[in-house]
Amino acid sequence: MSISTYTMPLGPVHVALEEPVYFHLTVEGENIKNVELTSGHVHRGMERMAMQRTLVKNVTLTERVCSLCSNSHSFTYSMVVENALNLEIPERAKYLRVLAEEIKRIASHLFNLAIQVHIAGFKSFFMHVMEVREIMQDIKETVYGNRMNLAANCIGGVKCDVTDELLEYILKQMDVIEPQLEEIKDIFTNNHIILTRTNGLGILPPEDALALGVCGPTARGSGIVRDVRRDTPYAAYPDLEFDVITEPGCCVHSRAMVRVRELFESVKLIRQCCNKMPKGPVFNHMGKIPYNEAFAHTEAPRGEVAYYIRTNGTDKPARLKWRVPSYMNWKALGVMMRGCQIAEVALVLNSVDPCVSCTER
Amino acid sequence: MQEIIKGHAPLIDALTPLCTGEKAIKHTTDLYGNGYHWFRLDQSSKIKDAARILKGYQARLIMISAYSVTDGPEECKELCYHFDVEGIIYNLTVTQNREWPIVPSITPEFANADWHEREIMELYNIKVTDHPNPKRLFLDEKLDAGLLASAVPLSVMMNGASSKDLWERILSEKEQQR
Repeated sequence: MSISTYTMPLGPVHVALEEPVYFHLTVEGENIKNVELTSGHVHRGMERMAMQRTLVKNVTLTERVCSLCSNSHSFTYSMVVENALNLEIPERAKYLRVLAEEIKRIASHLFNLAIQVHIAGFKSFFMHVMEVREIMQDIKETVYGNRMNLAANCIGGVKCDVTDELLEYILKQMDVIEPQLEEIKDIFTNNHIILTRTNGLGILPPEDALALGVCGPTARGSGIVRDVRRDTPYAAYPDLEFDVITEPGCCVHSRAMVRVRELFESVKLIRQCCNKMPKGPVFNHMGKIPYNEAFAHTEAPRGEVAYYIRTNGTDKPARLKWRVPSYMNWKALGVMMRGCQIAEVALVLNSVDPCVSCTER
Repeated sequence: MQEIIKGHAPLIDALTPLCTGEKAIKHTTDLYGNGYHWFRLDQSSKIKDAARILKGYQARLIMISAYSVTDGPEECKELCYHFDVEGIIYNLTVTQNREWPIVPSITPEFANADWHEREIMELYNIKVTDHPNPKRLFLDEKLDAGLLASAVPLSVMMNGASSKDLWERILSEKEQQR
């Protein structure tokens, strides 16, 4: 370390999100030369807990790994158990799973975008995005009875059907939210404050994105065409039409624009689900639990969620392991923050939509 | 009619010589027709060769799962490496020696193996050789590796007076120490 560089501690709280992660920034003047981080403050031993609970009870546990991606965890967990048990789910359940997932994706992306503009100092727009997000929160509360954890998934399908009246209500709300999303897109594309603060900031070149195995909007913001919904199709996605959104800019603004444009893809998917949903049962019963191992992965709002299970003939898993999108994206911050100024750290950090609690489990 | 499972034949052919044991290779699909290929490597050290082969196919490391096998002929630890090649999943399993669990690092081939391997070292007490940055990920440096595995869950401890779980655990640990 030269005489002009020093290590600056940042955190463990109040860095973009009020979750504990501790950064060690090597800085030269205002410029960041190197980034290291210390985590482990909220390790909850959830994988160990999962091995002491039954397969059925773990649906509830896994939904609590993460708040914004909560549905993706119970979804992927149910899928991995179904793979291990060779349990098929009804057609209607496949559509209902996608419906819940895309509703959560819109709410999650809007939350991240709202925080992004809040950090950029654009408070009025932050309030507006949060207000638009309330439309999705209302849908969640009306359809599922909860604003965060939907408890929609179960092993073999979904817990509750969604009535035709509620599907009609969701379609109407999509008509309400879409023009407001257009407004948000327009502001993100053209607003001077946003462009000045985020365009060209926190560069992650495609070769680094590939080498570090980053996923979700973080990868797609560097032009990497990677989306589990398209690459390893599951649930009703193979029957639905949507585009994998990428942006070439590799910067904070690119990652935000991926999320903005994905909002419209999710609206498209929700409409297709409501219109094409077949009639029929919504879950199948579990059969005998064999000795087996299985893997499943899905595209959560923040990126790929992966689950691995080993079953041993009992109703408790011999091992349940999962990996969340943030786990892969943290290391990319070292590349993104190099050369940035200290004041820009929070913006760059938020651009990967980080989640500490799910990283540490 | 025989089911065709999606996969890359040259890659499967290249990995096959590393797995000569009985039932060391299996191919499965999920309910949506996605392909999953499972390889049980002969030795831990072969994971390095397998990683180089997969790197040549632009594979992406998704996750490394460590676990204890308690229902086999003797208790041991295993690692399962999950790779993605164009949406098809390749799972490579290596069994650890019970006394000296050790595996070579694949971080030089796959940079994103870094955190996975550091987690395995501190939570499962498996030695990962030639890791470029073998620092603690979650636990403080002062704590022993594998410490959390030695903790007794609160539920087991509280039920210790009335159920056999706690006593059976003590007995099995005493057995292992002999």
